Order: sequence, then structure tokens, then C-alpha cells
Amino acid sequence: MRRSTAAAVGTLTGAALILGVRLSVQPPDAPVATAPVSQEAPADGDGGGEQEAAAEPEATASKKPAKKKESDDSSSAEKPAEEEKKEEEAGLKAGTYKGKAVQNEYGTVQVTIKVSGGKISAADATYPTSGFSGTINPNAVKKLSEATLAAQSAQVDAVSGATATSGSYVDSLQAALDKAGA
Amino acid sequence: MRHVEHVMGTVVSIELPDDSAGPELIASTCAWLHEVDARFSTYRDDSEVCRFRRGEIALDDCSADLRHVLDRCADLWRETDGYFDAYAGGQLDPSGYVKGWSVEVASQRLHDAGSGRHYLNAGGDIRMRGAGPSGGPWRVGVRHPWEADKLSWVLALTDGAVATSGTYERGAHIINPRTGKPATGLRSVTVTGPDLALADAYATAALAMGEAGLAWLAKKAAEGYESAAVTDDGRAFTSPGLPVA
Repeated sequence: MRRSTAAAVGTLTGAALILGVRLSVQPPDAPVATAPVSQEAPADGDGGGEQEAAAEPEATASKKPAKKKESDDSSSAEKPAEEEKKEEEAGLKAGTYKGKAVQNEYGTVQVTIKVSGGKISAADATYPTSGFSGTINPNAVKKLSEATLAAQSAQVDAVSGATATSGSYVDSLQAALDKAGA
Repeated sequence: MRHVEHVMGTVVSIELPDDSAGPELIASTCAWLHEVDARFSTYRDDSEVCRFRRGEIALDDCSADLRHVLDRCADLWRETDGYFDAYAGGQLDPSGYVKGWSVEVASQRLHDAGSGRHYLNAGGDIRMRGAGPSGGPWRVGVRHPWEADKLSWVLALTDGAVATSGTYERGAHIINPRTGKPATGLRSVTVTGPDLALADAYATAALAMGEAGLAWLAKKAAEGYESAAVTDDGRAFTSPGLPVA
């Protein structure tokens, strides 16, 4: 009896982990598949450099964790639908089970499932809710750092810039370098 | 030796510090770039891209180069959440990938032909190998986005690429594919990394994203692509690993 309970909990933890992984994987995909073409922001659904942006994809994902958009062709390896899982797990002991806390780039995600009538009756996940809360590992969210815009003259071998036309090249620093180096 | 070639609608500067086989290498490099232009130019009705666009040739009948370019454009479209879009202007225009890719290939061919030290600068997008003229890394200036005769950063690289996309040179020519309107928010984006084709595409995609591109760029550092960007209102941003000289 004890052993079978342990096995069931183990399986559930596994299922929760799968859900956790799936949920954490989905946010990057969801904006691609679901964002209306006209939508301008957020530019980067999975990005999260901005504080609000970090939290938004999670909220989106938590609203529709079971919806898998067929139009998205990437990372569908993680696809096993929850519905199937629920049926497979029939005969489980009633209760609430917490999955292992899983770290992803947004922070810690923990999945909780409720079992009743031998089936998973509810699955929920905790997400970092607002900005850089304590659940978010600050090192995981990389940002470009603001710097002073310099205007310098220096000895260089080449100049990188927005693509010059043949016409604008003539007045460019690279043209001056080319003259000097020819 | 230095050579300047007008091709692909821009100017390509080729620098070979070791002169021995210079002229032949430069001739073969230029021949390749003109071959790319003839095949991929959207300004030439008889180019392969234009014929493919009009449906005169099927994908299966396209050259391996064109199929490769189309594949990579599709990969980049996915990788950039659709912001790198060879169809942003309505019809196929892979130019945003072709320039960087063709220079990347040219540099590889130079290397295979024995030139371990060189740089190619195609209208501001640079691929370099080996040591620079001084024996140390190449020093690459990033053009100031408002002052054409000034630099906003000086970078030091031996093997690698530096690509810059900006709105200051050709006006608002980068389209935000989500809105169909010219991209705003960023005035200049520079990306460094191992592959010029990718660095160039990432810079273009980030520019199309606007300020949200700053966060997107930050994630590319894990793949070896560092960046420096300037917003429309003059704020400058750099990734921690940017190879500043």
C-alpha cells in the first residue's frame, strides 16, 4: 500500500514536472502563434528584459495551458496533451500534490495538481507574478546595460555602420580609410 | 592591399594585409560577389530571385544557394518571432540575409585559399579573420548614429563579424513586419559574433522590434552574439561581453 502510494506520488511528480516543463516551454511559442499580426508590442514574447515583459508571457500561458496551437511547428516535442495524461492516471489517490519547483529563465515555476475520483481534477502552476519578485533569479534575466553614447575619433581599421549606398559611401569614414589604405 | 568594389548596391572594401596572393584572391572574391548579385538582386529582372518570385522556376529547380538562403530566412523568421521577415515588404526579398551570408562565404573561401588574415566590409557589415595590420586584433569603429564622422564605440576582434543596422543611412527602410510600418525606437543596432549572416540578421530583427529588441538582443549573448544599440532618443546600450577595444 505504502509502496503503491509512493509510486503514484512519483508518477504524479513526474506528470507535474512534464506539465511544468511544458508550461515553461510554451510561453516563447505562444506569442508567435497567437499574437495578431497587427500587434506591435510586446515585440518579444519570451523575452522579459523589461520588468513587465518578464511576467506577461506567464500570465498568458497560465490562462490557456491546455491549448496547443497547431500552427506552431517548433518545440512540439513537448506536446503530450494533458487530457491524455489525465486519463492515463486514473486510479490515483485523492489529494493535492505539488511538483518540484522548476527554475526557468523567468523564475521558479511550481505545478500543483489535485486528484479526485482517481483523476487529476485540477492542475495549477505558480508563476512569478510581478516584476522581479523574490522568485525570480535576477541573474537569469539578462539586459543590455545603459551606457554613455560617445562621439569619438580614433584610429581604426574599419568602420561598421548602417548599410551605405554607393553614394553615401563616398563621404564615409570607411571611404577615407580605403583611400588611406589603397 | 586594399580593394574597393562596387557591388550589390553598396561598396565592399577588401583588406588583405599579406599581399603575396592578393590580386588573385581579390579577383575571385569580387567574382563571387558579382555572381551573388546576379543571382539574388531584386533589382535585376533576370535574377534567380526575381524569376522564382514570378513563379517562372520552381523551388526544386532553384540553385542550391537560393534554397539555402530561403531555408535560413525561414529559420531566422522563427528565431526572431517573425521580426526578420524576407517577405516584410510584401514579396520575397532575401537581401537582408544575402549580403551578410555572401561575405561570410567570401571570407571562408579566402581562408580556404590560404588567407588567414583579412577583412571584408560590405557597406558597414564586416567579417574579419586573423590579426589586424598592427599584429593585434582588428580595430572596428561603430559609426555614431548622428555624427557621420564620429564613432560611438571602438571594438577589437580577430575572428568574427560586426554588423550594424540603422535608420540613419537609408531612412526608415526597415519594416516592422507586425505593423507593416517603418520600425521606430532604435536608431542603430550593432551585433558582433562568429557569423556575419546571423549578426546582420539579428541586428535587422532587433531594429524592427524597436526598444523591445534590447531585451531580445541580451539573450543572444549566450550564443556568442554581443550587441550595442542606440535608441531614437540617444540612449546607448551595450551587452556585458561587447568586445570594446
